[in-house]
Amino acid sequence: MTTNTYIHGIGMTKFGTHEDRTLKDLLLDASRQALEDAGRPKVDAVFVGNFLAGSMSNQEILGAIVANDLGLGFVPTAKVEGACASGGIALRQAVLAVMSGEHDTVLVAGVEKMKHAKTAEVTQAINAAMDTDSSEKSAGLTFPGFFGVLANRYFHETGASKKHLAMVALKNRENAMNNPLAQFSKATSLEEIMNARMITEPLGLFDCSPMTDGAAALVISRKPSGIHIKASSLVSGPTQMQDASDLLSIPAIGESGRRAYEKAGLGPEDIDVVEIHDCFSMTEMIAIEELGFFPRLEGWKAVEKGLTKANGEKPVNTSGGLLSRGHPIGATGVAQIYQLVRQLRGDAANQVEGARIALAQNLGGTGSYSAVHILERV
Amino acid sequence: MKKLKVYSCCGHDTVVKRVYCPSCGANEISEREVEDKGSIYSFTKIHVPPSEFAHLAPYYVALVQLDGTSAKVTARMTEDIAIGDQVELDKVEDGAYLYKSV
Ligand SMILES: [Zn+2]
Repeated sequence: MTTNTYIHGIGMTKFGTHEDRTLKDLLLDASRQALEDAGRPKVDAVFVGNFLAGSMSNQEILGAIVANDLGLGFVPTAKVEGACASGGIALRQAVLAVMSGEHDTVLVAGVEKMKHAKTAEVTQAINAAMDTDSSEKSAGLTFPGFFGVLANRYFHETGASKKHLAMVALKNRENAMNNPLAQFSKATSLEEIMNARMITEPLGLFDCSPMTDGAAALVISRKPSGIHIKASSLVSGPTQMQDASDLLSIPAIGESGRRAYEKAGLGPEDIDVVEIHDCFSMTEMIAIEELGFFPRLEGWKAVEKGLTKANGEKPVNTSGGLLSRGHPIGATGVAQIYQLVRQLRGDAANQVEGARIALAQNLGGTGSYSAVHILERV
Repeated sequence: MKKLKVYSCCGHDTVVKRVYCPSCGANEISEREVEDKGSIYSFTKIHVPPSEFAHLAPYYVALVQLDGTSAKVTARMTEDIAIGDQVELDKVEDGAYLYKSV
């Protein structure tokens, strides 16, 4: 069924490198912005999406820190972990808390601080989102590695090539250049993207989302506002590449999309603007197929025709996406909603004229979790 | 050397052992040993590894389509490979399946 929840306020820090700011500082900044945007309502509960604060900043109890340092009183709080889907799952927990009748107004925040660590250490910490008690982890597979394996098979079975992945990366960079909160604002080219150093072949530097510091926050309530959360869905999927029955499908994305469409009474054709979890350029290609925007194994054709550009028929990642807006892991799912609310309010970077229905899809692991939210301007 | 095991129920073969079959709920999933041979279904060459594998980079991670089953296994290789190449299990080391070209 649809939800009885509405978005009242949004907040977001700039994504990028915040050497001189702490995790808490970023988290409180985004939360304060969201509360002020919502008109400082009484908050009944807090859910924080985060993945690495324990392993990389030795900091837990994020929910209690938000409630205490904002001065929200002795309210229930929790940190929610679902790898890169932590933010989307935090929002879903907040929606369910309101739908249950337990709370009227809930603050949702997401945060991550990664830039202070070395790439190898971050790659190691992120590997916690694999099944580490598996032969696959012992073989040395990584997140970009999984999507590299997927990309080579996708190229083998379709007419797609590295150039199509580069087109995804270039589109998202061009969108980010208009987003003042995005991590990357420097212009690039297909040539530069295709010639960049390899990370996990065929994926190069521009095909992979960066390490990012940043936070984002939302206030939701049962009290009506101009932005209705029409659907919230979450599913789990395969936790190992070698266990997938079809390498070129990420079933968690497809199933979370189907459930969200059913709850909303809508289909992919009704969606005006989309934020998709492009942790890698290849992931965006698969997700636009799984969510039903384009036929299976034909996403690359849509990319080639420019259909997913901000002025195309199905604008995807007008924020710049994870690839260029940045990917502070626990904040990403919340930042997707930030961009879509701006789209529905009509004041977004890369504004889609008249956008009324928006969809966000937030992925965790290599398909271990997928959360989908559908928003409607009412 | 121990042979690779494949677990089957409801027409689905996998190298990952489950408690219950996700299709029918059975808790007695049949298991059998499979041959060491297979072919490269897909692969990647990892240039940026996590710290614990830094000493091995660059290395290949391959998804191997095992012969005689629909199951696949994730393996590490050091030689240059392409989709369709015939490979076989070389050894199991620190929990990882290491394959080589045949
Ligand atoms: Zn069964």
